[in-house]
Amino acid sequence: MMEGNVIKYAQDNIDTDVIIPGQYLKIHDYAEIAIHAMEGLDPDFHSKVSKGDFVLSGKNFGCGSSREHAPIALSHSGITAVLALSFARIFYRNAVDGAFLLPIEIGQDAYDGISDGDRVAIDIACNEIKNITTGQTYKMKPFSEIIGKIIAAGGLFAYNPDGD
Amino acid sequence: MLLAGYLRIIQTGIKMGKTLFEKIWQSHIVAERQDGPALIYVDRHLVHEVTSPQAFEGLRINDRRVRRPDLTVATMDHNVPTSNRMLPILDQTSAVQIQTLEKNCRDFGIKLFDINSDNQGIVHVIGPQLGITLPGTTIVCGDSHTSTHGAFGALALGIGTSDVEHVLASQTLWLEKPRPFEIRVKGKRKNPHAVTAKDIILSIIKNIGTDGGTGTVIEYRGQGVTDLSMEQRMTVCNMSIEAGARAGLIAPDEKTFEYLRGRKYTPDDYESLVDSWRDNLRTDSDAKFEKQFTLHIDDIAPQVSWGTNPGMTCDVTESIPSPDEFSKGNSGQKKSAEKALDYMALESGTAIQDIKIDRVFIGSCTNARLEDLLEASKIVKGQKISPSVRAMVVPGSQMVKRQAEELGLDKIFLDANFEWRESGCSMCLGMNPDILSPGERCASTSNRNFEGRQGTGGRTHLVSPVMAAAAAICGHFVDVREMDLR
Repeated sequence: MMEGNVIKYAQDNIDTDVIIPGQYLKIHDYAEIAIHAMEGLDPDFHSKVSKGDFVLSGKNFGCGSSREHAPIALSHSGITAVLALSFARIFYRNAVDGAFLLPIEIGQDAYDGISDGDRVAIDIACNEIKNITTGQTYKMKPFSEIIGKIIAAGGLFAYNPDGD
Repeated sequence: MLLAGYLRIIQTGIKMGKTLFEKIWQSHIVAERQDGPALIYVDRHLVHEVTSPQAFEGLRINDRRVRRPDLTVATMDHNVPTSNRMLPILDQTSAVQIQTLEKNCRDFGIKLFDINSDNQGIVHVIGPQLGITLPGTTIVCGDSHTSTHGAFGALALGIGTSDVEHVLASQTLWLEKPRPFEIRVKGKRKNPHAVTAKDIILSIIKNIGTDGGTGTVIEYRGQGVTDLSMEQRMTVCNMSIEAGARAGLIAPDEKTFEYLRGRKYTPDDYESLVDSWRDNLRTDSDAKFEKQFTLHIDDIAPQVSWGTNPGMTCDVTESIPSPDEFSKGNSGQKKSAEKALDYMALESGTAIQDIKIDRVFIGSCTNARLEDLLEASKIVKGQKISPSVRAMVVPGSQMVKRQAEELGLDKIFLDANFEWRESGCSMCLGMNPDILSPGERCASTSNRNFEGRQGTGGRTHLVSPVMAAAAAICGHFVDVREMDLR
């Protein structure tokens, strides 16, 4: 069970160029990358994010570049999960394979029913998201089998297919 | 060395037809789990300086080596300066990243086309040019525009750094099987010099949306595709990722085989490979696609993006739509359009041809090949760019630059007051000094018009090379169909 506050961006197509602008891709220190997370969209993000927070957004989150700096920037800012109506696939795999954060696909009900600042609990085992602020509970889309296993293992390198 | 992969493509007599993508997928499965996820063998791994340092670091920490250095090729393209290369790199963080790639390639025995190599260039331009990209192969690179190589009938996937490390270590990747998506391009362009491959792919994305291809591999088919040259096909496949697709590909044909014949790394047994490709690398007539879209191109116009994603695009003859018109009742789309217009400092109803520009960028893995520069030069020849515009040409590779110079294109551009620069990704993504200043508006032949992509506060309009060249001359967008393109 994960619990945290939601930072909501009620829009589709949040791209990796606004999650971490190109000029910061030369930085190798993860803590320093994190300072610039979401800078292209919300320059206040770094000052308002706390450890354990979630980002909530619309369709096609993480579209664009394959830069793994995008999930790294969010993860090292303290974000443990991104909840979105859908994800661009490279972002999704980067988040999972590097064990940076959980990309959680939600339905329109959760998207509409969870507001900026709400406190939310995510129960991966039951595929459930509870909005603690309002008391409402929503279903999340379950991870596919292999994605679930990579997450459980702690990333692609830790995943041992022979253990299947 | 790649032969095993090709030979496995030979059909196994299963009854239902297969798509080209499924044939390549099947012939590269190392291990498979129920319902699809498979460990896929990688034939070619292309590496650049930005997405590889942490991957090599991971290998060192775990005392691993690169499993197949002979199938791995590196170059530096994202943050190399495009000015005089005899001078030291001023940006220290860029210099460190470039030196790091040099050291990593030395330590792990990987072939590197470094900043002073005759073969340096954008990774997706040099792969095909050197004959590294081959039909029927699987190709990965830590770069989303790897889809470019699909133009040769390869399954080419963009990946992130964790996956780069996994491929370096194992030459394989765990992948969920994407769904095959057929995009049929029907008809014939009336003026193929003015209405280009860029306009075809922008039209497709405008129609299916930036997530229209999510979870799929697109196969582009039909006369509108087979009519295209190899360089034009690369432009189409390049932007598959802008429609959200995992990859885009085109079945190889005689144009493909001819393009690759006699290149630096074209295999010695090339002709026998061609025979096998000719027989095997095509979608069976009874194969099923899970998704389908058709674009008729007889009457399409040159395209200009007006917003902050490539789906926000319209004809050069149109005006900027209102958020209501654009969103067709979708509230999320409406909000995105409002935000985009605000960022772009544009108003609904403004004619595209009334939009004045400050900068022109002809470059990137989408449109910086010889043919792109040649077509643009026809517009520029004997003209001067508008005094209010700063314009640059950044060839996709050193080879493109040399070939263009042999044709005298550098002189045409320089005489018109364009800058003629060294090869690299340059102003496509604002990692080197080639960036827009806040508020500057650019006609760009690149692939992404995201906020801040070409520099903080910069405003990008995606267009073809001929449209960019015409905008440079006029200072605003114009319909190139009305110009003399000889």
